[in-house]
Amino acid sequence: MTLQILIILAVMIAAYALSKAFRLSVELSMFAAAVMGGIAGAFVAATPAAGDLARHLVEGASTYLDVILVFFTATLFMTIVSESGGVSYAVRTALRVFGRKRLAALLVLMVIVLIPGALTGAGSVSLLVVGAPVALALGRLGVPRKKVAAILFIVAGLSAAAPPVNIWAMILCAGTAIPYVGFELTLGIPVLLLGSFTVLVLGWKKDPAAAADVPDVPEAPAGMNWWRVLTPFVVFFGLIAAYRLWPFRAPVLGLALPFVFAGAAALVVSPRKIAFLRLSRETVARLLPLLSTMVVVGMLQQIMTVTGVRGLLSFAVISTPLVLLFLLLPVIIPFSEGVLTYGGAAIIGIPLIWYLDSLGFHATVVIAGLSLLWPLGDGLPPTALIGRLSNMVTGYTGSYRGFLASTWLPWLVVTAVGMLMVLFSSRLAFLVRWSM
Amino acid sequence: MRREATVKASLAAALAGLVLWGGLPLYRHRHFGVPVVKGPGVTAVLKLSEFSKGLEGTAADTTVFVLQGKEPGGRALVMGNTHASEPEGMLTALIFIEHAVVEKGTLYVIPFFNASAGRNTRPGDGYPLYFDVPTEWGSKRFRFGNRDASPLDQWPDPDVTVHYPTKQLLSYIDARNTNRTWPGRPGGLPMERVTFGAMELIRREKVDLAIDIHGAETMFPVTNCIVAPEKSVRVATMAALTVKAAEGFESHVEPSPPRFHGLSHREIGDHSDALPFLLEAPIPFLDQPTGPKTVEFFLDGKDPFLLSLSKKKKLFVPYDETGWSLEKRVGQHCSTTLEIFRQFSRRNADRALVVKGVPRYAEILENGVGHYYADPSKAAPGTVLRH
Repeated sequence: MTLQILIILAVMIAAYALSKAFRLSVELSMFAAAVMGGIAGAFVAATPAAGDLARHLVEGASTYLDVILVFFTATLFMTIVSESGGVSYAVRTALRVFGRKRLAALLVLMVIVLIPGALTGAGSVSLLVVGAPVALALGRLGVPRKKVAAILFIVAGLSAAAPPVNIWAMILCAGTAIPYVGFELTLGIPVLLLGSFTVLVLGWKKDPAAAADVPDVPEAPAGMNWWRVLTPFVVFFGLIAAYRLWPFRAPVLGLALPFVFAGAAALVVSPRKIAFLRLSRETVARLLPLLSTMVVVGMLQQIMTVTGVRGLLSFAVISTPLVLLFLLLPVIIPFSEGVLTYGGAAIIGIPLIWYLDSLGFHATVVIAGLSLLWPLGDGLPPTALIGRLSNMVTGYTGSYRGFLASTWLPWLVVTAVGMLMVLFSSRLAFLVRWSM
Repeated sequence: MRREATVKASLAAALAGLVLWGGLPLYRHRHFGVPVVKGPGVTAVLKLSEFSKGLEGTAADTTVFVLQGKEPGGRALVMGNTHASEPEGMLTALIFIEHAVVEKGTLYVIPFFNASAGRNTRPGDGYPLYFDVPTEWGSKRFRFGNRDASPLDQWPDPDVTVHYPTKQLLSYIDARNTNRTWPGRPGGLPMERVTFGAMELIRREKVDLAIDIHGAETMFPVTNCIVAPEKSVRVATMAALTVKAAEGFESHVEPSPPRFHGLSHREIGDHSDALPFLLEAPIPFLDQPTGPKTVEFFLDGKDPFLLSLSKKKKLFVPYDETGWSLEKRVGQHCSTTLEIFRQFSRRNADRALVVKGVPRYAEILENGVGHYYADPSKAAPGTVLRH
């Protein structure tokens, strides 16, 4: 069986490499890998059955439908706010107030990026909602664009790991029957420390040329004021908070609908007339590569499972000797996120937690530690969701490899902190107790 | 320009064709009816919406089979397919419906507890849509479901699930998981209405025992066991010891965590007088590090990767070349359920529950699971329901 699966894996890799050689996009290359993997599976091992391949592709394509809806509605909302002049107004005011207090400015901007992701569990929401204005503000503070993208990538990742909502931890808790409690301080303290470290290390040094490079923040349109800027955000956070405050009375809206309502509010209070249909079309066009990545990753994940490739990878991780496993985790965890997004937590994380728990490690602290490592994988190809988004909202168009390289120091520190939490989980159990 | 339009139109047509070709089996799966043959012991068939009005006319409503004995006695509720990706509970419940004859007391059986999850699939997980259990008259086909209800029946998911009434935070997906929504509420989300309906049934009918049948991964520490809260531990322990001594299989007792809310084994006991039990048998098919998820693997439970991990002592159950077959899993559930009835009855003579006709572990191992399902095409008129 192992040989058959290895042949299928080789076919998938070859299909991906060949597609890239023909200069096809990442999404089309992954689609080719999924289709060829499915066909190879049907021929080599009869899994999937040839007649069932289309079903697997279509079923897999719907895996991340909800995430796709959130991406689209959040981006549309933020584009409306931007088009109304709200972003320019907010950035201009922030620069006026904090322009001369660099330390305070950097820390405040870091906290602003942390909040949406912490509330929703999605770093993408942080970037889509506040990424562009924070990027502009950092640029005006003299932080080069590449470093701005790096800051946004790391802090948005940390925001997704921050309490109260950490999707990786929730997936692991749901899969391992461990209550999702005790994470407030266990995650909150490292996230705040690492976020501060990142923003200060990458943003402290001022580069006057960089500030000049940033386009002057456009004048806000006449009539724009704080009330108009904040109303759509109040609508969004109000709807999110309403469910937390009155969970048994407030309707369940999920994440996409609050963005729709907030977008509608932004349209209503905008001092400018906004061509909504044009804006929607442009937003779809801009997001298409990202959305299609999510569709294709779902297909790839489904084909990898039905052919046994996913199981083989999971088996390889779990059967690795413990010391070697600890040495490899800083690579394996982000890599699994880069290939499978949240699927990595289920495939590798759940058996790993059970295994470490049986050896006496403190499961809650281990989950918290690992969930600091998973967001780093959102910068890795083929998906690179948060990495690409941070490039997009920053307007950074240079080499993606160069952008990733600029994150090396916070990346290493985040990895070290996450791994130390895993290794010394029993000694850090007091954080869980204090959180409760 | 015209060539580009032609290419785009062709691609769109190809995509539509793919969606249709791949989507049709998913549509058929959602509308496939599993035949349930009523056995001689079934005295009434109800809907869960009779206990939770909010379920009426929804895809979450489900069937309750009542098997009332001639003599009054204790009352028990047996639930399968709380997680429809663990169909052993449903298969066990169907054996009770077809074969159980209650002499004393009353038995309530809900084979498709999360009816919506049974019509859902597992995107990204590559599961088969159906599995066929071999019988003497051919094979009986069942839908493979998901752990959670279909988003077609309950959507959108909250960004985080807030458990009623404790306000404990759970994963967003748990809003559709009927083993996280106990004790439920009448006007809540559909899955909360399902568990509320069962709670109402337990309270109104004065149910003594509530047994929720599941399955779990071999790498999951809480497997091959009876999960029981403090009030059920004595009965669970005696049942576990007895099946081990008399029938030769392990099913140890795991305590129900008092601070982990929403689970049947915790909330049923806290919100009613019933003694709750959650049965787990190992389902190798559910593990992550396995080969392809085929029907054959689901039935025989044999996997070379798990065998290798077992030799490295990374599994929580004994596992060898014989795997962990469907017969073993369903056999364990039948015997453990019957033993819980017996142990409870020994201590509560006035509420005794006497059930005959249900096969035990050794018989199911010998005859196979399919042996206990009647051919629906030959069943007496009016005795077959499709679910």
